[in-house]
Amino acid sequence: MNWQAEIDEYARRQELAREMGGAEKVARHHANGKLTVRERLDALADAGSFDEIGSAAGFPEYDANGQLVGLTPANVVCGRARLDGREVFITGDDFTVRGGANDGGLREKFAFAETQAVRWGLPLVRLVDGTGGGGSVRHLETLGRTYLPEVPIFAEALSALAEVPVVALGLGSVAGMGAARVCASHYSVMVRGTSQLFAAGPPVVARAGEQVDKETLGGAEIHAKNGTIDDAVDSEAEAFERARRFLSYLPSSTRELPPRIDCDDPAERREESLVGAIPRDARRVYKMRPILDAVFDTGSVFEMGRAWGRSVITALARLDGWPVAVLASDPYHYGGAWTVDASRKAIRLVDLAENFRLPVVHLVDIPGFLIGTAAERNGIMRYGTQALAAVRSSTVPWCGVIVRKAFGMAALSQRGGSTAFQRFAWPSAQWGSLPIAGGVYAAYRAEIDAAPDPAARQAEIEARLEAVQSPIRTAEAFGIEEIIDPRDTRRHLCRFATLAAPLRAGGRGFGYRP
Amino acid sequence: MSRDVHSEVAGSIFELLVAPGDEVAKGDTLLLVESMKMEIPIEAPVSGVVAAVHVIVGDAVAEDQRVVSIDPPRQG
Repeated sequence: MNWQAEIDEYARRQELAREMGGAEKVARHHANGKLTVRERLDALADAGSFDEIGSAAGFPEYDANGQLVGLTPANVVCGRARLDGREVFITGDDFTVRGGANDGGLREKFAFAETQAVRWGLPLVRLVDGTGGGGSVRHLETLGRTYLPEVPIFAEALSALAEVPVVALGLGSVAGMGAARVCASHYSVMVRGTSQLFAAGPPVVARAGEQVDKETLGGAEIHAKNGTIDDAVDSEAEAFERARRFLSYLPSSTRELPPRIDCDDPAERREESLVGAIPRDARRVYKMRPILDAVFDTGSVFEMGRAWGRSVITALARLDGWPVAVLASDPYHYGGAWTVDASRKAIRLVDLAENFRLPVVHLVDIPGFLIGTAAERNGIMRYGTQALAAVRSSTVPWCGVIVRKAFGMAALSQRGGSTAFQRFAWPSAQWGSLPIAGGVYAAYRAEIDAAPDPAARQAEIEARLEAVQSPIRTAEAFGIEEIIDPRDTRRHLCRFATLAAPLRAGGRGFGYRP
Repeated sequence: MSRDVHSEVAGSIFELLVAPGDEVAKGDTLLLVESMKMEIPIEAPVSGVVAAVHVIVGDAVAEDQRVVSIDPPRQG
């Protein structure tokens, strides 16, 4: 005598639940170029690591004899899993059951799925593919009334951002609460062609007078370019890979510090190419990304947000195995000047670093905030000042390497708020409040206007000032701590990371605004 | 089917390096935009033949403005 019969009864329900919305709905889902939620879980989690919770939860059908004849599963599949050996919690929407609408699930299971990770200090990965919270108005008829919108667990989901890493993958067409669940994350990805995201979709938007299809309204490219999400990818497989990679730089929760991994890239590695990386001609651009690849641990640079705020590169990377957060200028975009979007993107990176205690490395080539009427119309000084506030209120160790320009207020980002900062300059560095060319006429106007040959006089003054501009003069006055041979940059950065490691604990505890 | 190339920054057209009919390889510099006192190259995203150049030196250019169109490479 044993309990095998009951185990078998339960297993029956699990088997029925595994069919999701049924063969036809699954086929249609596949035909739309999407994986089912169970296929996604299999692809994402380490093989054999997934322990499902609520595997029999759903809406059962019993016959007159009390025998189970069917089970429609709740449209959330969740449980514990490992990603690259580390414990996480995963929740995935099942679009084949009632379009993934959150009122087609069991509220209890949905609430559980959204709150378990933070309660256990585990990273959360959300596979979002549902039509949002409200579902269909048909539901109101069943209910016999309407209700004030309230999602009790959403506040908990938002406050979880201060405690555990949250990755959200937008894997279908998501609106309203589904869209908010993608945005309430530290790192978000959408798939080109099969994911869309909006406050409300085309049918609702049409009633407001605008005829537009879902791709045009909220496709992946649109949101990668406006910063709503971090990255757009070409396949679900790529989305899973990026989720795993993002998490690998972070601790499981803020109860721990980011983990160091073994590194076989020597910290002392000298990089010959760096001595000539910066053009001598100040008008020429260069590619910053190969410089990052050269100084950080080989293959460790994980760029986020490449499609927006492009004058700043934001990334996670490693130095001698220690994870760090990276800011770097891209001179191809406005000479590295900080635009509104670059400022917003920098805030996101600095807040991530502050929250999870990642030291920041900033490779600086900044001529200032972007100037001109377009920049002013976009509110450059408001957003730029917010970015400076984020930078200067950060408490993590910070290393600034000035590779070329450091001018104006934006260049204040050479250091953060911690007194544990290091600054290095390359011999190609040039800095000041204002580039010489911009300031000469304004400062010497009377003398220039009075000269017999004003153009020649201005050129003469500029030449005098050029001589004063060498960073070596600044170093003589200890206005910069050290000018380094660019080939030694990696060695200095690795040493910074080693020294920074014991200083990472702490933080402002301010909560996290996604 | 022509592929349009857009300027990623606002600025002015500093130098044109190609003309209609020129063969270009992916990554070749097509033109230079001057922005924030820098000469910023716009590179060909694909190989092909320049179908049209939509700007002249000195033109003001907006972010995302189309500057060049490239046709698929000549066959044979």
